[in-house]
Amino acid sequence: MMAGYPLLTILVFLPLTGVLCLLPLWQRQEWTRRIALLFGLADLTLAGWLTLAAGSARLLPGNSPPGFFLFEDLPWIGRLGARYTLGLDGISLLMVLLTAFVTLVGMVVSWNAIRERSALHYALLLVMESGIMGVFLALDLFLFYLFWEVMLIPMFFLIGIWGHGRRVYSAIKFFLYTLAGSLLMLLAIIGIYLLHGSQTGQYTFGLMSLTGTAIPAQAGIWLFAAFLLAFAIKFPLFPLHTWLPDAHTDAPTAGSVILAGLLLKTGAYGLIRFGYPLFPDAAKTLTPLLTGVAVIGILYASWVAFAQTDMKRLVAYSSVGHMGFVALGIAAWTPVALSGAVMQMVNHGVTTAALFALVGMLDERSGTREVAAYGGLWGKVPLLSGLFLLFAMASAGLPGLNNFVGEFLILTGTFRVQPLAAVLAFLGIVLPLAYTVKLLQEVLFQHERRPLALPDLSLREGTILTVMALIDLYLGLHPKPLLDLLNVPVALLTGLTGGAP
Amino acid sequence: MKLYLTLILLLPLLGAVTNALVGRKLPRRLVETIACGAVWGSFAAVVGALALYSSTPVTVELASWLSDFNFKAPITLYLDPLSLSLTLMITFVCGLIHLYAVAYMADDPGYVRFFVLLNLFVCAMLVLVLAENLPLLYLGWEGVGFCSYALIGFWYKETKNADAGRKAFITTRIGDTALGIAIIWLFQLFGTVSITELNRMGFLVPAGVVTTLGILFLIGAMGKSAQVPLMVWLPDAMAGPTPVSALIHAATMVTAGVYLLARMLPLIGGSGTALAAIAITGGVTAFFGASCALAQRDLKRVLAYSTISQIGYMVLGVGAGAVTAATFHLLVHAFFKALLFLGAGCVITALHHEQDIFRMGGLRDRPAIFYPFLTGALCLAGVPLTGGFFSKDSILAAVWEKGGALYGGLYGVGLATAVITSLYTFRLLYLVFAGEPYAPPFEKGGTGGISASADKQIPLNPPFTKGEAIRSLPRLMELPLIPLALLGLGGGLLNLPAFLGHGLLTDLLTPVTGPVHHPAAGTELLLQGAATIACLAGFLVARVRYAGTARQSRISEATREPSGLTAFLLHGWYVDHLYRALIIRPYERLAGFLWQRVDEGIIDDSLDRFADLLGRTGQGLGRWTSGRVSVYLLSLAAGAALLVGYLAWGLP
Repeated sequence: MMAGYPLLTILVFLPLTGVLCLLPLWQRQEWTRRIALLFGLADLTLAGWLTLAAGSARLLPGNSPPGFFLFEDLPWIGRLGARYTLGLDGISLLMVLLTAFVTLVGMVVSWNAIRERSALHYALLLVMESGIMGVFLALDLFLFYLFWEVMLIPMFFLIGIWGHGRRVYSAIKFFLYTLAGSLLMLLAIIGIYLLHGSQTGQYTFGLMSLTGTAIPAQAGIWLFAAFLLAFAIKFPLFPLHTWLPDAHTDAPTAGSVILAGLLLKTGAYGLIRFGYPLFPDAAKTLTPLLTGVAVIGILYASWVAFAQTDMKRLVAYSSVGHMGFVALGIAAWTPVALSGAVMQMVNHGVTTAALFALVGMLDERSGTREVAAYGGLWGKVPLLSGLFLLFAMASAGLPGLNNFVGEFLILTGTFRVQPLAAVLAFLGIVLPLAYTVKLLQEVLFQHERRPLALPDLSLREGTILTVMALIDLYLGLHPKPLLDLLNVPVALLTGLTGGAP
Repeated sequence: MKLYLTLILLLPLLGAVTNALVGRKLPRRLVETIACGAVWGSFAAVVGALALYSSTPVTVELASWLSDFNFKAPITLYLDPLSLSLTLMITFVCGLIHLYAVAYMADDPGYVRFFVLLNLFVCAMLVLVLAENLPLLYLGWEGVGFCSYALIGFWYKETKNADAGRKAFITTRIGDTALGIAIIWLFQLFGTVSITELNRMGFLVPAGVVTTLGILFLIGAMGKSAQVPLMVWLPDAMAGPTPVSALIHAATMVTAGVYLLARMLPLIGGSGTALAAIAITGGVTAFFGASCALAQRDLKRVLAYSTISQIGYMVLGVGAGAVTAATFHLLVHAFFKALLFLGAGCVITALHHEQDIFRMGGLRDRPAIFYPFLTGALCLAGVPLTGGFFSKDSILAAVWEKGGALYGGLYGVGLATAVITSLYTFRLLYLVFAGEPYAPPFEKGGTGGISASADKQIPLNPPFTKGEAIRSLPRLMELPLIPLALLGLGGGLLNLPAFLGHGLLTDLLTPVTGPVHHPAAGTELLLQGAATIACLAGFLVARVRYAGTARQSRISEATREPSGLTAFLLHGWYVDHLYRALIIRPYERLAGFLWQRVDEGIIDDSLDRFADLLGRTGQGLGRWTSGRVSVYLLSLAAGAALLVGYLAWGLP
């Protein structure tokens, strides 16, 4: 019924339009944040409507490829063969929904925290939202690369301008790391573009055309490795993760929320959407490597997290561990594992964003993120403590909450092809519990260690966290609607590379 | 039936949710009413289900949960005699303990949180028991683990309580991991996670696989049911409020492992090796727990070790393939151990939060506490004709009947454990109830483990003098003891030995277990005679050591630092120390090492150095473009020379 409108384009560029609307009111903090929030909400509404419509199959595909609800394809740079191709399937739909939601969370948590240059702050958040939306929707490698770089720059400024501590060092580290990976990816994109062109005479960046390219084994390995490196840095996978704790620790709360909630997902998404389908043979060859670093990452990062004294660093390391599960699910490439991996991306996005938001709120109140400064919060700030406990338990994989669903499906799906890796990863679920209950005990329980004046959650904070808590519960108890959305694309993807369903 | 099954789960859940959301705004009485009403309502629904139940198991699918391609784990409940009898016991005992808790927690400001967690626990426990598929069982399994964690650390301000909760959660999760691996492996093998389907398919896979699966389930059970070597958390778990100890750490949650093994027995029973491993674990644990209970000074710790020991018996029973006997003991034990814990709570409250049994005495003139506690103790000691006697005997008989060197040896261990059990039970009785009320000359705390820190939310009174000492208790704390005492005492009627009459439970469980093999009446009598002698022997030793004047000298001895065997048993064979040295310390140290040395040292530093190198190379190259013509000319010449050389030799 609404298929006539370029819905995907609206989805991507609505936040950018928001930036334009911010311009005339640049100096009025009150107004800028409201307008930004309005555009964030509008994008979320659209994404939400798309989800409902997709669930009830109201978005009937016209000329779209199989599995895609919506598809937009226009000529763009004709001489290069780059096209403006956007497509929405179940996987990107969930990512789009997550993007719209987490960006909104980022706006809400910085409502009072950001007082300097707030217009710029919200403008950057909106630009980043556009970039990330684009990454999750682009089906043309050139376009994808463009969006990939677009989302990088606002984060650099977010950390560099509003960060804490060694913020410039962390921002540059984040930037260089990601850039190094993405430049290699650009080379690989050009490589496969030329390869396909020389084979067929048709020079194109379109994913659908490129997937059929016959790639010589040796070249395939190198091209895939370049993709893998770029995505592994974003993931981040062991041992390429060291930019993350620094970036998280020094980022403002909104930066951490979006970094953990969204940017890390782009790496996993890229691997699912581009890496594996473009180079199925090379991917098969390098799968043991991916499985290995995933398992090492799960165990190693959870272990290191145990020793952390800064709450943000702790959550950052826990992120590395949890994303290791996602990598494991992708490496297994079975239907159950892959849909589990996508679920886990959503789950981790919500739960970890909530944890970062909570840590940010504590930091905002008392000016420290040191675990040792807190203690005995339970009696003082019951609402905050209750939600902290809930999200911590979700993060530790308690069944009935969302993270368990993703992890369990990943492990179930992985066991079929990589039993040893699944068993090791399963042993890995003890370690998150160890650092989680340690954190809970030292922050929520025992006695207050420093007299801190901590007010409980405000209405704004309470509302956004409650919504996140409800999402955690809903996905933990009734993940079926989401899994159903993933069914078709995952079946198509896994069928593509020869894995039996 | 669907309605009843839904209500069984839904009522406690609703109770928890209601109180969690609005409990702080409601009057106290209403919060308590909601919590108790939810559990008793659930009990009523179980009774309704029982009335409707007719010989065939019922499967009800309530909702979908995990559903992804061929992996399906819906919220499906399965009611068969085994789950029915456990559900009945759980809701009934939980109901009584909820009532007791109303009185016990009367002074505590955290009552809302307490009742929310208690209701949530009931719901999770029922999910565990009624689950038709393993992931759902795992949901309940971890759910009770979480509630146990939160309730052990209920008085969270004390570091020791929070530590105990954390220890319980992590230790049990080690076992949970094994269970989880078993689940995903079973799915890989059979393409299903439904318990009923899996139990029909065990023969399809090689014996070695069944053995490994059996051992994975066993490790899962070790965690939750506090079996050797994962038993270390249970004694510390006594840091929680006493109703929690009674409910979670005696009657229900800790028997979940036994239930799991009994539930999966059709699958894992195919492997003799797995059964032997289960039986050995049970036997060793039974002996371990009983021996430790001998030396404990803290009333609740005695009971905790005795729980470990009694669950060991149940696991031994499952290992002998006697699901009926294990279930029988599980039910009777739930009654009398809940009774003992609630009685202990009465004792502790009456004595102003004293937990050291060497500082107690003279409580026999409090009949409302003494007689129920005595009943529980007689059951625990296995005094003939009590419920505990019959249930323990049915396990030992099954082990005996199994024959062979291994099971014969295990029977010996079981019998020896029975002597020790009787001994520590009567020791407890003499110390707590005999003699005069004792005003101790030494300061509190001693070496009795947690005694100094448990139950200390309410400020401690100074040592009291005789007469004014004993506090009177609310009726609501004393009344729930009576039905439990009756059930414990008469529990034997549930399942009389074959030669005495009809085994109610045996009949009920036959569809689950298949026909049960009964020992001959003569053998049975002989075994019961042996059990009677064991009980009597323990009693006599206890009488010699703890009755009359001997009691006083034991108490004076207790003021000294324990040594030798006593210390060894008091500290639970030093297993905690061992784990601390071998696992926990290295883990903590290595975490710091990995972070500081490996992550920040090797991985991150190498990148910083690389960046540094690049920077300096750049600066070096920058110096080249110095603007001096001589450098440029030299570079030009060198470049030209290289090019000419390459053309001359490189391209023949």
